Amino acid sequence: MSNEVESAQVSDAMEVAQLSSLAAVDSHAGSCEAEMPSRLLNDAVRSLPYHVVKDLLSIGVCSRCVLRILGTEDHIYCHSSFSQSMLCSVLEEVTGFKSECDFQFCSVCLGVLQLSYRDDKETLVKMESPNDMALVIAELVKKEGHQIDGFSLEVSIPQFILENESSLLSGMKKRYESEPWLQERLLSKCVSVKDVLKFAITKPLETLLDTKASASSFRIRLAYTHKMAFGNSVERNQGFKRRKIGTENGLQNVNDESVVANKDCSDYPTNETIAVTGRSSLKVPIDKVSEPCHLVYLCYRTHIYLCGRYLKYSRNVSQTRWIIDEERMGEASVEEIIGSNILPMCRGDNYKFHAAGREDSDVRMLGSGRPFLLEIQNARQVPSEETVKEIESKINGLENKLVGVKNLQVVGSQGWTLMREGEAEKQKQYCALVWISRPLEDEDVCSISLLNDMQILQKTPIRVLHRRSPLERKKIIYWMKIERIAESSQYFLLHLCTQAGTYIKEFVHGDFGRTQPSIGSILGCRAEILQLDVTDVKMDSF
Amino acid sequence: MSDVMVDHTQKLEDTAVPNNLEQQDKQDEEQPQQSVQENAEYEDEELHKHLVPDIIQLPLIPPSAVEFNFASYFAPDFMKPGNDQYVYRHANGLCVVGLASTHLAFKDKGGITAVDFNVGKSDRSGMKVTGKRKKNAQHFESNTALCKVCTNGDSYIVRCCVKGSLLEVNERLIKQPELLHSSADREGYIAIIMPKPADWLKVKASLLSLEEFKKLRALC
Repeated sequence: MSNEVESAQVSDAMEVAQLSSLAAVDSHAGSCEAEMPSRLLNDAVRSLPYHVVKDLLSIGVCSRCVLRILGTEDHIYCHSSFSQSMLCSVLEEVTGFKSECDFQFCSVCLGVLQLSYRDDKETLVKMESPNDMALVIAELVKKEGHQIDGFSLEVSIPQFILENESSLLSGMKKRYESEPWLQERLLSKCVSVKDVLKFAITKPLETLLDTKASASSFRIRLAYTHKMAFGNSVERNQGFKRRKIGTENGLQNVNDESVVANKDCSDYPTNETIAVTGRSSLKVPIDKVSEPCHLVYLCYRTHIYLCGRYLKYSRNVSQTRWIIDEERMGEASVEEIIGSNILPMCRGDNYKFHAAGREDSDVRMLGSGRPFLLEIQNARQVPSEETVKEIESKINGLENKLVGVKNLQVVGSQGWTLMREGEAEKQKQYCALVWISRPLEDEDVCSISLLNDMQILQKTPIRVLHRRSPLERKKIIYWMKIERIAESSQYFLLHLCTQAGTYIKEFVHGDFGRTQPSIGSILGCRAEILQLDVTDVKMDSF
Repeated sequence: MSDVMVDHTQKLEDTAVPNNLEQQDKQDEEQPQQSVQENAEYEDEELHKHLVPDIIQLPLIPPSAVEFNFASYFAPDFMKPGNDQYVYRHANGLCVVGLASTHLAFKDKGGITAVDFNVGKSDRSGMKVTGKRKKNAQHFESNTALCKVCTNGDSYIVRCCVKGSLLEVNERLIKQPELLHSSADREGYIAIIMPKPADWLKVKASLLSLEEFKKLRALC
């Protein structure tokens, strides 16, 4: 409880704070460390190969990309107190580079690591610090009302950025082929755009949300898309092929380079910035990136599951919602009764009901109950054990007593495997009220009880033949027991245990002789079934 | 039992039917210690109370599965005098066709000797219908021949009566033609046909209800 209050206070405080006070809070927390990052940054930058930095900056690569591609230590540049402008000026100062052109957005990451993007209202957003992005996320989480005890941060970026990077890296490998730092930095320490962004945002997010980043069902997703990313990828690929050929030729012969470059220019529509030093050129597909990516912030919880067993006491309730021509069939459905009572307690968007098999509307589900799995989408809150018990009592205490629930509990994704386990071997137990056209004899009771593991052949029952394949299915009746009903010679209760998928009604009345044998054929008379109840669904794992 | 049922079980409090479990329980009452075994027995007992019906509410002779789930129609003298056939239509639209009890074939002294599905252009017992969409089902008119029923002296052609896809014929009749005698209206059915809704409406107009048929044939 107190944690929630604290984080709420922190969030509230953050809302009013300005950027400067934000930095102050940050540096206050580790006041002795505030000095360290700056110094570390300066040291790290000084150890970079300056000519490479200049080359990269001159083709419009942003400062964070420069630092990550060159494998700068310990993600210094991810530190939340370093703003865009600060990083840029440090690099320029140290390397003595003055940017001639005004590059809007990074030619590699398209502005992602410059914390620039277009939001869902098409407004251009340029954040100064990763903290600001963390703030937006925290606001969203609060607005959605999520109760979380962890989060998992995901970033998705357009494939185009990876293509940019790959083309730049291969260009760099060629150009700086012989240089010592290449092996050490580029090939082994280049950090991906996704990792940089995640690293930069995770710490401030952990503070704002007052919880740790972990493998959690609660996902925070930053989804970047870019117009250029759609279509034209075939063209771009072809362009890449051409460029590679051009570069190779360029290495061998300086004279040829201009010829090749001309060829490229005429064949290929986009402009290419060339840092010419007589060596092979560094190129990026687009020099002046005028549009940043489009960013959507998403936070959601992946499916949570509740499992249990349900009982159905009514002969007028279907398992799932049953509506024909906008008219509901039956009084209610098990799915709706259970789902509508659980969904609000999880504050989820939607539910999906799955059960291990089903019974007809007019068949009651008694005894141990039928295992089911309720999938809740985007729950804002995972119900506690207590809450789950409350839900169970509530459903069992409903006035109309149509449905009951047992062993209700939250379960992980292994709930699926539990349901599927032993499905084929599942045995079901039933109790049928049977009438026969002649009085029941003691011999009948005896002969029925002697039939064990009896195989029957069932043609697809006529009542479902319109929507199922016409097949002949072999099923096993494991055992049967007749229970006489006092005061009646022609009615009796038939208890039986059968293989999953057996049509019991048809086994009793024979379905025009299409189920062989049937109770009627075994007893040598006409048999009719008046009532059916499922008394047990044998499944250990639930 | 119908596909939509009436509840015949009684309320928990009204259980008056003695059963083995109840008697056992009375003996167990002497031993007060709770055990898992007894809990299970108690649950079984509770369950059992739900299962036992109230006999008073049960009819002496319940309606048969066919009576409850199918609507019965009759085609008297179909294509030929004496050729009385029935059409039982399920709520899902499928039609079971067969010989009505008043069919001429039953009046033959020798009884029915054989049923042959090899009539018309193909052997009806040879077709294989597969899948939910009922692929390979032959589309027949109402006067298409389904089979030939042979008696000692005569033979009779049984026809579809309903225009539609032939889903199934009762192959058991080939080896057991006597089924027609023992129960022509159940185990002795001839075939199952699936008509299109429009086709059904057209043919329905020409068929008789059970009441009308009974009157026509002066049955009890």
